[in-house]
Amino acid sequence: MNPDVVSAIARLRTDNVLSGRQAAFFNRVARRHLVSVRFEIRVLLYVGVLLLTSGVGALVVEHHGAIGPLAIAGSIGLAAAACLAWVVRRAPPFSWDEVPSPSVAFDYVLLLGLLLFASDLGYVEAQFTVLGPRWAHHLLVVGAVYLLAAYRWDSRTVLGLALATLAAWRGVSISLVSASLGVGDTGELRANAIAFGALYVAAATASVRLERKPHFEPVFGNAGLLLLLGALVSGVLEHGSAWGVWLVALLAVASLVMGVSFRLGRSLYFAQAVLAAYVGLLRLLFAPFRHEASSLPFLAAALLGLGALALVFAAHKRMIER
Amino acid sequence: MRPEGAAWERAAEVREAAEGWLRAGAVDRPTHEAIENAYPDPCVTPSAVWRILTAVMVTAVALCALGAVWIATGQPGETGLSVLLVVFAGASLVVTERLEASPRFARRGAAGATSFWGSVFFLAGLALFLHEQLRIRSDPAFDAVLLASVLVWGAGCWRWGHPLFAGLSAVSLFYLLGRLPLGRVLWVLAGAALAGLAARRLDDASWAPSHRRAAMVLVVTGVAAVYGAVNVYSLDARWLEELRRFGPRRPAPPPGLFVVAAIATAGLPLGVLAWAWRSRRTFLLDTGIVLFALSLVTLRHYVHVAPLWVVLTVSGAALIALALVAERALRRSPGSERAGLTADALFSDERRQQLLQTVPVVAAFTPAAQAAAVDKPGFAGQGGTFGGGGASEKF
Repeated sequence: MNPDVVSAIARLRTDNVLSGRQAAFFNRVARRHLVSVRFEIRVLLYVGVLLLTSGVGALVVEHHGAIGPLAIAGSIGLAAAACLAWVVRRAPPFSWDEVPSPSVAFDYVLLLGLLLFASDLGYVEAQFTVLGPRWAHHLLVVGAVYLLAAYRWDSRTVLGLALATLAAWRGVSISLVSASLGVGDTGELRANAIAFGALYVAAATASVRLERKPHFEPVFGNAGLLLLLGALVSGVLEHGSAWGVWLVALLAVASLVMGVSFRLGRSLYFAQAVLAAYVGLLRLLFAPFRHEASSLPFLAAALLGLGALALVFAAHKRMIER
Repeated sequence: MRPEGAAWERAAEVREAAEGWLRAGAVDRPTHEAIENAYPDPCVTPSAVWRILTAVMVTAVALCALGAVWIATGQPGETGLSVLLVVFAGASLVVTERLEASPRFARRGAAGATSFWGSVFFLAGLALFLHEQLRIRSDPAFDAVLLASVLVWGAGCWRWGHPLFAGLSAVSLFYLLGRLPLGRVLWVLAGAALAGLAARRLDDASWAPSHRRAAMVLVVTGVAAVYGAVNVYSLDARWLEELRRFGPRRPAPPPGLFVVAAIATAGLPLGVLAWAWRSRRTFLLDTGIVLFALSLVTLRHYVHVAPLWVVLTVSGAALIALALVAERALRRSPGSERAGLTADALFSDERRQQLLQTVPVVAAFTPAAQAAAVDKPGFAGQGGTFGGGGASEKF
């Protein structure tokens, strides 16, 4: 029971702010006589999908020699087809606007079908080398299928997966951090991250401007900014002499993002830009004192942090969040 | 907690409920406005994004200021550093009090960050002081710091109402108890007592909403401590005994104790689920589900009922089937509810939940990046990964 809400409902009913029916229903929920288990159902479905796809992976690893590649590829493909057939049968008609899921299970059966499809494709490619030396391009196919599915069945979750898979196709993921520390071709990785980041931000803009699934904008926008700002920050933190150029680029992009997100009322974009700019400026503050212990950069970093706090408070006061 | 702070929290609680009613279309906008007027909240309450951003920046300011003063004072030794940490702790706590008293700043995330770092600085300063200045041996010094941690986080929760602090205090308490002789027994007794006492306060109207949430954290921590003590794998691996002070090796527990632990490992999650069912508390239901899953993992560790892939596939399919059956049963019941449970979202922010679920899905199922391998010839002869859907197993 939430005693504060229960007593408020009684007072609001006495003051005739709430009708008798409203008060009775709200009271049931506040007293926990009616409880939603929607979140728990979602978690069970998510963990179920996770375990099932892991089980399929373990099956292939342990028994692909004994069962044979055709049987494995066929059975995984069949399972994927069964899931996707269920989705096709239950799906509401396509619309460029937001379409509510017909049930809480819909998104997860769709996810399971697509994950099994991706596993099957990866397995087929590994076994039969259809793409030959360009085997990694199967990720492009998987990403494209995810993207189409996200639009057809209006799933933000699948869209997020599509964007991450397409970025992974070009080597961009969490590895951007380790690569900036010296593993792999950092230049190529960073260029890919910037290109994908810009592309996703453009897609976010287009989805709103053209009114084509405008509710996908936060997924496109956040993924794009994460890649774009992450790539620029990794450039600033890199060893070598070019970090100043990256810093200028980072500050320019971060300022632009702050300005646009302030105008659009998008707090998460604004927060990413502030953090990226702050991390980039730390390099500027600490670089001259690389070989000596000085309190100056720490003091300047603290003052810069206070400045950022003032900016955050001022932006929050004036921004109209949407 | 300040009386005015508790009053602000109560008003915010009602306004948040009214926000949910409006979102679900259960009240219209004029009614919502009337509720807001009836329960005015003077506090500025930004969204979670602003609060986290503020807390991160306050953290940067606090740590950089500490570094600046430490270097400016000639990087004093451990004693000087412990004094510096305690001074910073005092300053952080003063700032916290000022922020908490101001409706403009109390809920911006800054007070939470300063109170957290104030407590951390104090405990770090105390640890250095005991070990380096008083030359107390490691074990008693560590015990003293743990005891201080129980008190500091507990007092912080009581004063400022952060449920996280209640959790940190409880974790410190169980760590401390685990270091005593009969630590496992103490975990069971203290865990049961903590869960029982905190459960009585979950609906206590005299407690501020944040204190009730802290009680919820204490119930979960208490139940987890009891489970950690009675779990058969924890007994077998002597996890709790590892926490104890350095000393002679303890004898292995008697075999009869394993039987008792095995029964408790199976029974406790069912007990928690039954408690959740009776009380209709979803956080207990979630706890029970997690403990049940841990018990199944424990069972699999000792009893190889089937190969790993069968266990994973069958349990995954079973979970999906269970969720589907539960949802269908609830939806087909009269009024879409059964035994006080419903699969409807009621007044929660469904859209936000859907957006948030993108993060774990992408984190769990995105295949490993492989740009460097795009132009590498000859995949077949080198092995590799298959997947693209999260099943990025090597073979």
